[in-house]
Amino acid sequence: MRHNIFILLLFSTGFCNLAQAQLDAIQKLDEVVLSDTKLVQYTTGIKVEKLKDSIINKNPVSLTGLLAFNSNLYFKENGFGMVSSPSFRGTNASQTAVIWNGININSQLNGQTDFNTINTTNFDAIDIRSGGGSVQYGSGAIGGSIHLNNNLEFTSHFDTQLRLAYGSFDTRMTNISSSYGNSKFTVNAGIAYIDSDNDYKYLGTDSVNENGAFNNVNFNLNLGYFISEKDVLKLYHQSYNGEREFSGTLVAPSNSKYEDENYRTMLEWTRISGAFSSKLKAVHLNERFKYFENKANNLFSFGKVNTWLFNHNLNYRVSNTLQFRSILEFSRFDGGGSSFGDPRRNAFSATMLMNHKPTTRFEYNLNLRRDVTSDFENPFLFSVDGAYRVSNTYAIQFNASKNFRIPTFNDLYWQPGGNLDLNPEQSYQLDLGHTLDFKAFNFKLNTYYIATEDLIQWRPDNSGDWMPINVAKSQSYGAEIEAFSKIKLKLNHLSFSGRYSYTVSENIETKKQLIYVPFHKGNVSIAYNHAVFSMFYQHQFNGEVLIIGDRLSGYNVGNIGFGCLINKNGKVHYDINLRVNNFRDREYQNVALRPMPNRNYQIITTIKF
Amino acid sequence: MKLNKLLLLTFSIGLFFTSCTNDDDTPVLPRGDYENGLLISHEGSFTDGVGTVSFISDDFTTVEHNIFSNVNGRTLGTVVQSMVFNGDLAYIISNVSNRIDIVNRYTFESVATIDTGLSNPRYMAVSNGKGYVTNWGDFTPADDDYLAVIDLTTNTIIDTISTSYLPEEIIAQGDQIFVATGVFGLGNSVDVINTITDTLEESITVGNSPNSLQLDADGDLWVLSSENLIEINTTTNEVIKTVELNNSITAPSKLNFDSGNLYLFSGGAVYKMEATATTLPETAEIEGVSFYDMSVRNGVLYGLDAKDFQSAGTLTTYDLSTNTEINTATLRIIPGEVYFN
Repeated sequence: MRHNIFILLLFSTGFCNLAQAQLDAIQKLDEVVLSDTKLVQYTTGIKVEKLKDSIINKNPVSLTGLLAFNSNLYFKENGFGMVSSPSFRGTNASQTAVIWNGININSQLNGQTDFNTINTTNFDAIDIRSGGGSVQYGSGAIGGSIHLNNNLEFTSHFDTQLRLAYGSFDTRMTNISSSYGNSKFTVNAGIAYIDSDNDYKYLGTDSVNENGAFNNVNFNLNLGYFISEKDVLKLYHQSYNGEREFSGTLVAPSNSKYEDENYRTMLEWTRISGAFSSKLKAVHLNERFKYFENKANNLFSFGKVNTWLFNHNLNYRVSNTLQFRSILEFSRFDGGGSSFGDPRRNAFSATMLMNHKPTTRFEYNLNLRRDVTSDFENPFLFSVDGAYRVSNTYAIQFNASKNFRIPTFNDLYWQPGGNLDLNPEQSYQLDLGHTLDFKAFNFKLNTYYIATEDLIQWRPDNSGDWMPINVAKSQSYGAEIEAFSKIKLKLNHLSFSGRYSYTVSENIETKKQLIYVPFHKGNVSIAYNHAVFSMFYQHQFNGEVLIIGDRLSGYNVGNIGFGCLINKNGKVHYDINLRVNNFRDREYQNVALRPMPNRNYQIITTIKF
Repeated sequence: MKLNKLLLLTFSIGLFFTSCTNDDDTPVLPRGDYENGLLISHEGSFTDGVGTVSFISDDFTTVEHNIFSNVNGRTLGTVVQSMVFNGDLAYIISNVSNRIDIVNRYTFESVATIDTGLSNPRYMAVSNGKGYVTNWGDFTPADDDYLAVIDLTTNTIIDTISTSYLPEEIIAQGDQIFVATGVFGLGNSVDVINTITDTLEESITVGNSPNSLQLDADGDLWVLSSENLIEINTTTNEVIKTVELNNSITAPSKLNFDSGNLYLFSGGAVYKMEATATTLPETAEIEGVSFYDMSVRNGVLYGLDAKDFQSAGTLTTYDLSTNTEINTATLRIIPGEVYFN
């Protein structure tokens, strides 16, 4: 008996060491492959959902379409393909950060990212991080953040993928991407183009979605090169070039047009040396837009911001259970535009992260951040998060944080109205999560509370002139449930995911639910595979929302798809998919007076070799 | 239901008249549910809503919102900018929707809709059987600002007349209409149009961004701008008085004329000036108010407060002999103007 225990102990310690060694390897690999390792290493107590490329591929091509059906996010879309604003946990679009390979890319002009300008095709992984993340990701990471990641694969390979799609409303999509690599060098590039007349019928009326045509092209290029055994040089680039007519409403016509461009480039030098790993990043971001009130003439208003950002990231692993990371970031923003002259802003931030695993069951992080900005005072930010593994199947996650959103260029400099006396919005939050993991079934339950003060809102003053002021306070609380299941029976694969969220988000003074925050939102996806055949069904439910002076009914919308793998011989893979969106042909609006598309079809073929 | 109510009302009033008025046998029938009260136009939400019209009875006991859609089963357009009466008809202008809904002003039953030939329509005036509607066209170009001339018998646009700059308020006097052109710190003229020939006769230079026009009891035109208050003789079309702003009144708007006095709004306060005065007053009549628009009639001020532009606005009336509140009613989103029906 004693002997057995001895062996067991020996075995378990040995196992432990083995596990630790594996962890080391994974962490080193992460440092090289991923550009944003803090998303993996310092998020123990935070709900992060990873969307795999199978899901990304099934939902071409906008980030809106992908997340509306595969996350708890709620979207407001001004008609299909038009400006799309996300909402995490009852917060607003400028309280949602979009992070491209570790860098916050929310517009400096309006503080948000239009989710219909992000083509998902060229990203390897999309992570949804719910809850405050300003310490790591800066301004706007209040409700949560969306992470768009490109991976660099240092293995010997050469793969190419071509995808062509055609659908209703003369919608054409083309995507070609290629990846080459060996143990020292890797490169991948992709280009994606979409073009649509988008002239869908407004169900129940005689009209169609006039002036809604759009097209855009996305280009990605990512490179990695081992200069030495310890040093890797990486280059990431992404550009977006879009032209959209802005559709009108059921009662108001439109003839306006919007052109926008985004260029993002990052050069990164990673050095891994023993317990230290360091990353130095130089980033250039450029955003610009032109708005044409009348597309028939060439008169437009414009705005642009050029961002230079330098970031140094030092990770020190004291032991297998304790590591620290410091992040220093300096950014410079140069703006320009029809309505605000040529403002400039400098910002500096210092961040300290600590990750500690006191026991094998318990792990926590302590994070601090201080910002200095040329235009206004910033709050001191912190976050604490942790996870406790109660059993092999059950774990508890918790986090508490203080987050912020800085005033945008529009808020500060817009003429007339811009207000230089604004302070950042400040937000406190608590989040408690439970996860249950079984072999064929996973379950997550999160409850949270968010209190935000100094909300920036544009209001008219005594003379009727509009200006932004730090005026409102809001609170959000609610619960999110997610369930996943996978069943495999011989050649049959069945997978299921379902999400439901209950959200209260109210103005603290009036105790009224904020506009465009549904109390209830849910979605369900079911996918089935049998040998070469596959099909899926996805369904979204959005509850009724309050709008200014009225209510907008909730809606249900479902998509269905069928796929067939035609060739898998050798290296060539060829498949064809048919997708029917809104297959029950229901009239629905997620922004009042802006109907969404009726039933529509897409045929997608993919060739990989 | 509505018809029943109407019949009942007709019946009871009929009884009243037959029993009490012996010297007049002609029964006076009510012309509709919305007679003898105020109509309040609402812009509604600009981004995702429609404008509305509310009715408030003269004694404030009856308030009905959304009367256009209640009667007609459909909505007005986005941003109801203004309304004008002509005989029994009301013309309701929806700015963003480029539309004019014509209704019976007492029943609010739809009579016709004009939805072609308008581009950012704002205000309308009636002269010589024709409607004149100010149109901005696109905001930026200065050469596409015009008046649409509507034949009110056929409800079609028969002509357009270019204006000096973005045309805003418009007022008719005799065979002339006067159009304030200018907004947001630009434009400084009142265009005069002859409504017999439908031509621009002259442009009278006034202060910057003229924001309101009023006729006084003598038929003189008063023009309030962000620079001054000007009185124009409408026979000679000459400026006869210019009143400069003072330290208290720096950004005046919402000019009204009532019983020999002019009223205007500036910096959260209402000021009163006798029409014969040559300077603006330093002290306010009513302070600490936030009016998106105001009207003065028979010694009563009707102030509309649009609040935060996202929640229900209010109408508050004030007795101008004592400057005290009389009545308050809760309205809808962004109440824009009061009309006396």
